Amino acid sequence: MPKLFEIFLWISAFCIMPLSHSFSKPISYSGGLSTMTMNDGDSNSFNIQYSPKFSYSIGYTGEYWRENKYKLHVVQVNYLLKRWNNPSSQGNLYLESGIGVTDKSNEINPAAFTGITSDWEDRRFLVSYKNRLSTGNDIDEEFMQQARVGITPYIGKYGDLHTWIMIEAKHTPRAKEPVTITPIIRLFKDTNMLEIGFSNQNKILFNFMKQF
Amino acid sequence: MKIIFTLIILLTFGVTTSSYAAEKSIIVHINGLVCDFCARSLEKVFGKQEEVESVKVDLEKKIITLNFKDTKDIDNMNIIKLITDAGYNVVGIDREGESK
Repeated sequence: MPKLFEIFLWISAFCIMPLSHSFSKPISYSGGLSTMTMNDGDSNSFNIQYSPKFSYSIGYTGEYWRENKYKLHVVQVNYLLKRWNNPSSQGNLYLESGIGVTDKSNEINPAAFTGITSDWEDRRFLVSYKNRLSTGNDIDEEFMQQARVGITPYIGKYGDLHTWIMIEAKHTPRAKEPVTITPIIRLFKDTNMLEIGFSNQNKILFNFMKQF
Repeated sequence: MKIIFTLIILLTFGVTTSSYAAEKSIIVHINGLVCDFCARSLEKVFGKQEEVESVKVDLEKKIITLNFKDTKDIDNMNIIKLITDAGYNVVGIDREGESK
């Protein structure tokens, strides 16, 4: 049953197509590989990151932005600036940057982005914030930021299916509708994480992450 | 009769000793151990160590229990290094009830 569930998630993720901004910790453990697909009303993206150490990761990100109809291909580096390990909680501050190209109507141009991601969680609550400034001929300068708060209705043991109920607020000043609010359900078990949401703009959010 | 009795005593003692040896385990108290997804890293790290038979994570108590193969062991310094390299902080290590 778990195997079938995993196969279903993989097929779903690749059918819906790859995506963009990291929705979970952007760095895995030393030697770990993580893949994720993220899809919302603005974009679809796919990311694969390898973490030589717990403090940084390097990988590839491919994104498709619907409103401006361009694709972004970048080499992405994530760096853990600071981690707070507390007795009952953990906080993190990351720098995420990417450099590569955009592809709009078969015209290729250089592009880059950088931003800060932070999170704090204990076993009951979580909060996170991230921002990103992108630049390139096809993008001009685009800033976006998003914040999340979440609560788990039950505290599961290690290895259980964990469930989180979250609200995400996303602010993209240049977009036609700059503010998006999305209630999300996050499920994770073992090394699989799934997020499903539905925004106030009637758009579906679908994220899936797998760690190896 | 005396020889048989001696053998029984020796066998019983031997089995008991080897049972204790096979069950050798230590408890590591860790700060930052709050997320199931993240704690997988510790399972992976210690799962790669040939001395370790199994790893048990307890998020509620913020501890991991390392069960070693036979009489094998990893010293405290290496345990601390492995956990620190995985991004966590060790608060204490209990070896047979003695906190270090």
